[in-house]
Amino acid sequence: MRFVNSQDYGFSTMAIWGLVYKFTCLCYRSLDRIFDIVYWPVISLLLWGFTSMFIASTSSFSGVMEFFLGGAVLWSLFWRAQTDVGTFILEDFWSRNVYNLFASPVTSIELFVAIGLIGLIRCILSFLFLTFLAWGLYAFNIMDIGGTAIAVFTSVLLLFGWVIGILIAALIFRYGLRIQILAWSVGFIIQPFSCVFYPLDSMPGWVQGIAITLPSTHVFEGLRYAIATGELAWQPLLLSFGLTAVLFILSIAYFQYALYQAKKLGLLTRFEMA
Amino acid sequence: MALLEIRDLRKRYGTVEALQGLSLDVERGEFFGLLGPNGAGKSTTINILLGLIIADGGSIRIFDHDFTANHVAIRRRMNVAAAFTSMNGVLTVWENLMVYGRIYGVKQLPRKIDELLERFEITDLAKRRLQHLSSGQHTRVTLCKGFLNDPELLLLDECTLGLDPDIAEKTRRALQAVQQERKTTILFTSHNMNEVEELCGRIAFLSQGEILRVDTAAHIKRLIPHQVVEVTFQAGSDLTPIRQLNGISRIERNGDHALRFVLDDPTHQLDPLLRHLTQSGNPIVDIHVSRPTLEDVFIKVARGEL
Repeated sequence: MRFVNSQDYGFSTMAIWGLVYKFTCLCYRSLDRIFDIVYWPVISLLLWGFTSMFIASTSSFSGVMEFFLGGAVLWSLFWRAQTDVGTFILEDFWSRNVYNLFASPVTSIELFVAIGLIGLIRCILSFLFLTFLAWGLYAFNIMDIGGTAIAVFTSVLLLFGWVIGILIAALIFRYGLRIQILAWSVGFIIQPFSCVFYPLDSMPGWVQGIAITLPSTHVFEGLRYAIATGELAWQPLLLSFGLTAVLFILSIAYFQYALYQAKKLGLLTRFEMA
Repeated sequence: MALLEIRDLRKRYGTVEALQGLSLDVERGEFFGLLGPNGAGKSTTINILLGLIIADGGSIRIFDHDFTANHVAIRRRMNVAAAFTSMNGVLTVWENLMVYGRIYGVKQLPRKIDELLERFEITDLAKRRLQHLSSGQHTRVTLCKGFLNDPELLLLDECTLGLDPDIAEKTRRALQAVQQERKTTILFTSHNMNEVEELCGRIAFLSQGEILRVDTAAHIKRLIPHQVVEVTFQAGSDLTPIRQLNGISRIERNGDHALRFVLDDPTHQLDPLLRHLTQSGNPIVDIHVSRPTLEDVFIKVARGEL
């Protein structure tokens, strides 16, 4: 049985603007939505900044600051993108707005475009803040790796963050608020396998088997390669970009399927009573 | 051509048949009531019409279009106000209405919001956060949202729940006024029978996922044919001969000096009863005739007696 039709892929710019307006209001009216743009990324930057200072002072390993801080700054982009999708979807569950929202003519595409737009702005703010902070505290400028590299790395990480966020949103629609913790915790599960702070070939074989399937791994491998050689490893990066694009389409399809299942089981109306 | 046509709508949750082939037509401009006890299938029907639940079988045509194939376009022309739902609590009333106005593609939105806030007498709440409103104020905001896009079809689910009698009365007046001005078709559910009787031209009575009857309130009340006549006599009256009256379905003693007469066929039984009472020679102190209410029908349906 078909669970979507062509209408589900349509979008109205006015509806998207309405949703962007809602998410903007949610951000400036909610202190934690402002706070979380910088809180965890700053904690991470401080942690890895001091760790790299210590390692740099006790070993001959060159470029340690760039490896660790570059990883911390870029990882914050993935984490921001992924959690924003989950939390903006959860906001509607928490406010019992799911009923009104999905009874309206809004489509999933409009919803995700709006979350993507507001998420992009929040990511840029977070990235700029961390870039200035890293430069101010540790004299590390991530822009030194070049505009092209930054554009490639950030686009893969943002898209991959949205993929994970959309999958979590789909699971929330299917299984309800009892799994909402995934919105914040999945990033921590993916991080060790993404080789953010260490090279892929230093990992045990079974970890490498998992890591190589994650687009994020190729970004961090690419980052280290760019720092070491000043060049971009185009082939793995393009492959990871292609893989992320495919995953993105699959995640949207899975979300539509989960939403269809939720409607079949009457779950959308039960969330209001929860 | 009916504005809303439901044919053989079916929905099952596990072993529970929520809707068992429900069919219904609602005409353009009607204020139509859906009544029935909990679990009768009212909310399931409304939620299917909103696209929040997918039916197992049957078809829905709204505005002469198939709902499944055109649900996004159709939902732009309809709206809902349900008391148990909310919008974003941290946003103000104005911001929430701006969000939904844009989602529904409303033109001249600020003017429209002002007009509705004034209509439902909550202009002073525009800048208040939704989470800080009382349930009555919240309900009126929900109604404003419901009318934002001048819907051709509006679904009102328990929309006056939690309102005090004064505000509920004002809300009913506002609903009637807006509905008559705009010829909005309204599908209305409530457990307040007086409200349903006052507002709705026709009512569908649902029970166990099926429509028991679609008719006006006056006709539905005739599902209970009997009337009850309660007569209080002066103290010391001899009620024995009166209790022996033939042709009355049931005569019960109601205190020392009063009798209850249950008439199954009031048209033919009331006149002979009153003649008999006056001829009995016992002075009557009080007389009260109770006709069945919509609530009586509701209770009998809920208890499976109808």
